[in-house]
Amino acid sequence: MKALVIAGLIAGLIPVQSALLPHMTLWGVMPDLGLIVVCLAGLFAGELEGLLVGLAVGWITGLFSAADLTVGMVTKGTVGYLAGVAGRHIVDVTPAVLVLGLLAASCVSGLLTALVLTLNEQQDLWWALRTVVLPQAVLDGAVGGALYWLAWSRLNIERFVSEYRT
Amino acid sequence: MRMVNFRTPYNAGRLALALAAVLFLGFFLLPSQLQGVFQAIGSPIGWVLSWPLRAMAGIQGGIADSWDSFVALQGVQEENKELRKELDQLKGQNSQLREAAAATERLTALLEFKGQEMFPMVAAQVIGRDTGNWYRTIILNKGESDGFRPDMGVVTPAGVVGRIVKTTAATSVVLLVTDPNNAIAGLVQRTRDEGIIEGTTSGQARLKYIPLLSTARPGDRVVTSGLVGGFPRGLSIGAITRIDKAEGALFQSAELTPEVDISRVEEVLVIQSPNLQTESERSGHAKGRRKP
Repeated sequence: MKALVIAGLIAGLIPVQSALLPHMTLWGVMPDLGLIVVCLAGLFAGELEGLLVGLAVGWITGLFSAADLTVGMVTKGTVGYLAGVAGRHIVDVTPAVLVLGLLAASCVSGLLTALVLTLNEQQDLWWALRTVVLPQAVLDGAVGGALYWLAWSRLNIERFVSEYRT
Repeated sequence: MRMVNFRTPYNAGRLALALAAVLFLGFFLLPSQLQGVFQAIGSPIGWVLSWPLRAMAGIQGGIADSWDSFVALQGVQEENKELRKELDQLKGQNSQLREAAAATERLTALLEFKGQEMFPMVAAQVIGRDTGNWYRTIILNKGESDGFRPDMGVVTPAGVVGRIVKTTAATSVVLLVTDPNNAIAGLVQRTRDEGIIEGTTSGQARLKYIPLLSTARPGDRVVTSGLVGGFPRGLSIGAITRIDKAEGALFQSAELTPEVDISRVEEVLVIQSPNLQTESERSGHAKGRRKP
């Protein structure tokens, strides 16, 4: 059941990320829905699920991008695992905590990607920070916070998560 | 002395840590091999995922089309579309004719004409764009099963779009000519000076390594040189907008405006050049190659 839910989530994620979001960019950057999903999976389901979802999302999104497959898997897997570890220690996840957590996770993941990818000479670390990492982190935090607020306040998803955990 | 406790109860946290350690160690020790394995396993998954992607692209195209038709005057919209298509075709034709004229002039002078080899082209539709923010790419609705391979050139009738960098069974990822990580061999059509065309971070392109004595000037057209890669000679890339000569530099460079409006491209042609490696052959031989 878990695997089916995750597979369905990823199957829905790819078309939205590659067909819909490129038309909704802000500062030329779109949010990374994969990263948001990985963070939420780690935070609410634990480190093993966070890691597995991170690896799967990194792998599948890498198939539809020019980026290196392994870089995506390593960064998203790490973020999922760390979100799982953080989830154990955070008693109450509020939208503010989630937004800040996503902001930090996106910054770390973006910086890691910028350091690992062999980018062109025009694309130095400052360029990466200014044009990709920071704008994307802001968008990831805002979109993740909005999704969380929507899911918790409107869709009563808390019951579903507690059932999923047990 | 501390003994290892083998009776430690199973828990998900330890399993995750062990799995992460093994995988990450593998990624650092055998990056290209694992990349090849995951790319090969991902090929059929790419085929499965291409269906929701096509559906989304279809819905999005339908909505965009009907929106455009309602907002703009329908007749004018259609006519404009037709005229744009015609203009694109004429631009391409013009570029090829210029190239043919230049070639004829040169070759007639040499009394040694050899016809330019043209490779077959296959049409494909754009169904998406890069899933990340690091590269400028488009996703095509055809892949390995249609004979597409990495390094094949992608064009429209107006000019060069980019080259394929990754394929699955039913999709291909095309790195656009405006991406700073792309490099295509090109030449200035009027002066015949060769150089390398790279994308810029501002979404334009730049012709590098033009000889200092070159008389290239703004307005000159730049075409593919056909020396390397999946492009034959004479395909239009763009027009020079500015020449840059740095003090003490060995070469000059030129800023180009690409001929194709990359943000609006919907259908493309893939040049099926022979002698290019398949994805599996490539990953099998790609020792330490990390860049697309």
